[in-house]
Amino acid sequence: MRRAGNPGRSGHALSLRSARDIFAARERLAEVFGVPDSSRFVFAGNATVALNQAIKGILRPGDHVVTTSVEHNSVMRPLRRMEGAGVSISVVQAGRDGIVDAKAVSAAMRKETRLVALVHASNVSGSLQPVGEILRAARRRGVFTLVDAAQTAGSVPIDLSTLRVDLLAASGHKGLLGPQGTGFLYVRKGVPLVPLIEGGTGSRSENDRQPDFYPDALESGTQNSVGMAGLSVSLAWLLRMGVEKIRRKEMEIMGVLLDGMAKIPRVTLFGPRDPARSASVLSFLVEGMDPAETGLRLERRFGIMVRAGLHCSPNSHRTLGTFPEGTVRISPGPFTTMKQVALFLSALRKISSGA
Amino acid sequence: MGDSSPREMILIFRGTHQVMSAEKRLKGGGVPMRLIPVPRRLTSDCGLAIRINPEERERAREVLAAAKLLPVSAHLLRGEGVYEEVKF
Repeated sequence: MRRAGNPGRSGHALSLRSARDIFAARERLAEVFGVPDSSRFVFAGNATVALNQAIKGILRPGDHVVTTSVEHNSVMRPLRRMEGAGVSISVVQAGRDGIVDAKAVSAAMRKETRLVALVHASNVSGSLQPVGEILRAARRRGVFTLVDAAQTAGSVPIDLSTLRVDLLAASGHKGLLGPQGTGFLYVRKGVPLVPLIEGGTGSRSENDRQPDFYPDALESGTQNSVGMAGLSVSLAWLLRMGVEKIRRKEMEIMGVLLDGMAKIPRVTLFGPRDPARSASVLSFLVEGMDPAETGLRLERRFGIMVRAGLHCSPNSHRTLGTFPEGTVRISPGPFTTMKQVALFLSALRKISSGA
Repeated sequence: MGDSSPREMILIFRGTHQVMSAEKRLKGGGVPMRLIPVPRRLTSDCGLAIRINPEERERAREVLAAAKLLPVSAHLLRGEGVYEEVKF
């Protein structure tokens, strides 16, 4: 492990190398999201840890939260836990296309509302939420905002210099193309967040109180510097390629998939039919076939790997009308080719026709 | 002490991220510097510090102030292991 020195704990070459890897990852992350001060990007083991930090770090007993019916369990479960600690929650119902009405979110805000927590794009239907409008409404009311960008970071352009979100969490291993075990939370300057975890930071070692400056305030214990080295390389690639270009490519692929799949008998699509209203995630069902069986056939016969089932988001499935069976989900990425798309469509035709 | 013109100025920052940011800015601004382990006599922290030539102090200050990255303290090496804290 030539890269596994512990940054901030020493000045030797391996420690320095790790510090540089983490710094490079943080700087590139800030560049991807249009933020000048990279110290506001705090690394976490995954998006779930980042979301837990955001939710449990900002809510206090007596606070009210507005969220949506298409949230992942990584948002809903921490919120439900906080409900037990004196926080009240309003869940705004999204439409059958998985898109929530910004006005309904706005109407759910009360005097004691402290946070609006919402997913940027559903991990089940891919539906992109009207985040801009919701963030503006929350801002007018002085309500903090948390966006779960797990499905969009690195795949849909997000410019935090114009999108005024207070907290944004994402994983490193999806659209950001990094290793598993990496994730981050962006915290806008001035947003009061209590650390979820306290401990050694390598800074202010003479003091037994947690430092209040970023990123150290929210980054205790040995960091995943090996993972960050990987993330930093994928972010460099992402910056060279440009998220705009990736988005255009993925929209083109989604367009072909949506058109092609809509023509296949016995196949039902969930979520928006317009690639512009969707992230690169698509759910479907083959009539009369268990989603797990569809997934199994796609892999066994055609080598196509998909996710089948409930996708850790029961409320999304209730919203789409696919609870408790779930759906089959595909998610084309920047390396997906049109040849692969054609292969998939042909495979699905065969499976759905019983061939 | 004898030597009236110290050859080293050590800049201490709040945390590793701030040291790395300062290094990037100083290098970008063409200020010669070196990243070093924090001398134990200066802080109990176990991280990194930046060493510059005291003659570069003004340029370093300009670059770091513009980036809102001023060090928490600055020290001149007055002799073997003897540092004097100075205003930066």
